[in-house]
Amino acid sequence: MTPATPLWEFVDITKAYPGVLANDKVCIRLMPGSIHGLLGENGCGKSTMIKTLSGVQQPDSGQILHNCKPVTISDPQAARELGVATVFQEFSIVPTLSVGENIFLGNMPRSRFGVIDWTKVHNEAARVLAEMDVDVSPETITGSLSVGEQQLVEIAKAVAMDARMIILDEPTAALGEDEIERLHQLLRNMRERGTAILYVSHRLDEVERIVDEVTILRNGCVVRASGETKINVSEIVSAMVGEDIGEHYPKERNATKDIMLEAAGLATNLGVKDVSFSLHRGEVLGLGGVLGSGRTEIARALFGTDELTAGQISLNGKPVRFRREIDAIRAGLALVPENRKFDGLFFNFRASGNVTAASLGGLSRFGVLNLKAEEQATHDLIRDLEISTQAEEKTVNYLSGGNQQKIVIARWLFSASDILILDEPTQGIDIGAKIAVYKLINRLTRTGKSIILISSDHDELLAMSDRIAVVQHGTIVRTVDASDLTHDDLVRASADTPQSKPKEAFA
Amino acid sequence: MKRIFDTQLIGPFAAMVIVALIVALTTERFLNPGNLSNLSLQVSIVALIAIGSTIVIFAAGIDLSSGSMVALLTMILAQMLKFVGIPLVLALPLILLMGGLLGLFIGLITAYGRIPSFITTLAALIAFRGLALTFNNGSPIFSLDPALEPIFYGKLFGVPMPFFYLVFFYVLAAFTMNFTKLGREIYAVGGNPAAAVLTGINVRKVQTTTFVIAGFMTAVGAILMSARLNSGSPNYGQTLELQAIAAAVVGGASLAGGRGNILATLMGAMTIVIVQNGLNLNAAPSSVQNIVLGLIILLAVGIDMWRAEISGLMGRVFGRPSSQQSSNVKKEA
Repeated sequence: MTPATPLWEFVDITKAYPGVLANDKVCIRLMPGSIHGLLGENGCGKSTMIKTLSGVQQPDSGQILHNCKPVTISDPQAARELGVATVFQEFSIVPTLSVGENIFLGNMPRSRFGVIDWTKVHNEAARVLAEMDVDVSPETITGSLSVGEQQLVEIAKAVAMDARMIILDEPTAALGEDEIERLHQLLRNMRERGTAILYVSHRLDEVERIVDEVTILRNGCVVRASGETKINVSEIVSAMVGEDIGEHYPKERNATKDIMLEAAGLATNLGVKDVSFSLHRGEVLGLGGVLGSGRTEIARALFGTDELTAGQISLNGKPVRFRREIDAIRAGLALVPENRKFDGLFFNFRASGNVTAASLGGLSRFGVLNLKAEEQATHDLIRDLEISTQAEEKTVNYLSGGNQQKIVIARWLFSASDILILDEPTQGIDIGAKIAVYKLINRLTRTGKSIILISSDHDELLAMSDRIAVVQHGTIVRTVDASDLTHDDLVRASADTPQSKPKEAFA
Repeated sequence: MKRIFDTQLIGPFAAMVIVALIVALTTERFLNPGNLSNLSLQVSIVALIAIGSTIVIFAAGIDLSSGSMVALLTMILAQMLKFVGIPLVLALPLILLMGGLLGLFIGLITAYGRIPSFITTLAALIAFRGLALTFNNGSPIFSLDPALEPIFYGKLFGVPMPFFYLVFFYVLAAFTMNFTKLGREIYAVGGNPAAAVLTGINVRKVQTTTFVIAGFMTAVGAILMSARLNSGSPNYGQTLELQAIAAAVVGGASLAGGRGNILATLMGAMTIVIVQNGLNLNAAPSSVQNIVLGLIILLAVGIDMWRAEISGLMGRVFGRPSSQQSSNVKKEA
């Protein structure tokens, strides 16, 4: 359809690490004015490709063509000079510096005497931000911005250097729905102007929305390259996993009529107000809403982390009061936190220490731990949840994100908790591991446990919940059956915010 | 058992053996029974205090106060024995209790006052030394009690008493760290305090407990110090806190918390004392001793940091990469 020549082309690129063939004769064409989705499970060779294109490493064999001419990208500086900008998943901005300083970091305009030309820094930064339609002053300290705005600053760096090729590695992992929309609008504008964009994401719903073409990798090989305009999600998933996985969301309905937990008029100092809901035995109650709407704060209120300033929680009809987390845990609650790295895992422990951390009291007699029982229980859980057996011998930092997440959930299986609060349980893990988490949710509800599911992935939330409570500004505005809601309804319902975040704060 | 004697001990043990071999080969008198028994006397005080310092480090804290606390406690003990007339059997438990209480005080300010332990114990390092000077107009107190000396110099079956204290307290510490709920909680708090809070561990209580342990072990060290010199002095224990931390670090404890083996600290302390002993026997001036101690600390941490590179190099030299190394590479790929 497009007779234009590709901006970049990989021809039979191969790259091996000791024991792993990370890229095996990979071919890809990146066209100007096109958003190219790069998909695949963790470890499929996506990052290897990105590193090759951004000059971080050299391929073992194969050719890289830039405007049909073979080139060598010897280092990141060379990539920059060829107009390639990479926005990595982990931000490379310095939070204590201003937006303008970050945009020109490492590339500051200098005046004649070698001193930084601050006027130029500010004017240029303001121009770039205006061009991107981002309403942030170049003098703002970057750390004071929301995560979404920081992400936009990251992209502004690429725009400022006039990149013709932008690589985005999971740009939306930390963004809320409205911020994702803003990012997508920006990407569409850049596409108009003829920029080539390589877009890596685990979120298939977005891929469907924004991407023009896709390349899917599995085990280092391209398994599918398509120039089609219409992309079918379930086909993508099958291609990524390598087998027909059947239902992407294997939802079982196990909800019963018994009320397990009831919250009435909960409020905390962190902005939770008048939160009331009931949770049934075997039910998955989804909390929907935009980033910052107060879903995590509701979880904290339930778990005894934040003190209740009003309201009452009842378990099986009996009023309870949690002064701290241990009270909630003893009463049968569990929290799988949003950020497993910072709040969930003990990287100094093997699987066993992580699994038993919340149950040390029950595992010990007169303060002495029953290490045999610990090893046995861990062994069984590793087998049951299909966690990598490496976890028995090695500390958990060696494991993949999916395995790590399963270990955090295993902690609460070991503690035999009845109510699990799962905060973004599938964030940043690949499709196979996501489906494993969904099956785990089914298994829990089948045995009469209840789940509060917080997720920014609307498709996941709609598919896996029995009912959905829409959260806005720290309160539940309504609760509906998940089957009565479509994706668009949920987006609209949760984004329906008349008093949106005041813009002036960042101007 | 596998758990206590794990791979973390290999490095510090090897370092200790190598250092001992070097000293033994270069210094004739090193292996004399008299010198070896002297060695166990020399290592005892710093090694016992290092138990507390290491446990604080396991919970991601640091204790700079122990040297000054030794001075303060020897002065209080001397005051009690010499001027107040409290009998030894009562004075000793009182000193242990006081050490624990001082540790409790530091721990409460650190954990509940949310002040970094580097600051609270630095303040204590300065203040305790000052407090020690308020006794007896700042002068040392000598000839305390004839029954005090055997605590340090006494022998059982021909073995110096401090050897038994070392065995007792290190076995107790190793048991606590590896087999008890408290030990596991200390490692958890040091590894990830945020995760510890969310798993229901009382992080502040655990942090406070580590300082109570450190205070108690410092009191044990102070008693041995008084017994060794039959005196109390506001000048005792200078830089002892740094030697105790050095022992932990040479033993491989991570200052970031959560990682390390308590028995390795004993080996770290032994390594340091063997080097000092070797230098002493060769009549090296104390300036040289300090320079060497500094280099040992750097080397120990360096070896730990560059472990992957070193084992890779070994693999190339001996044609067999260690399993640890090869699996690391795969993970990064």
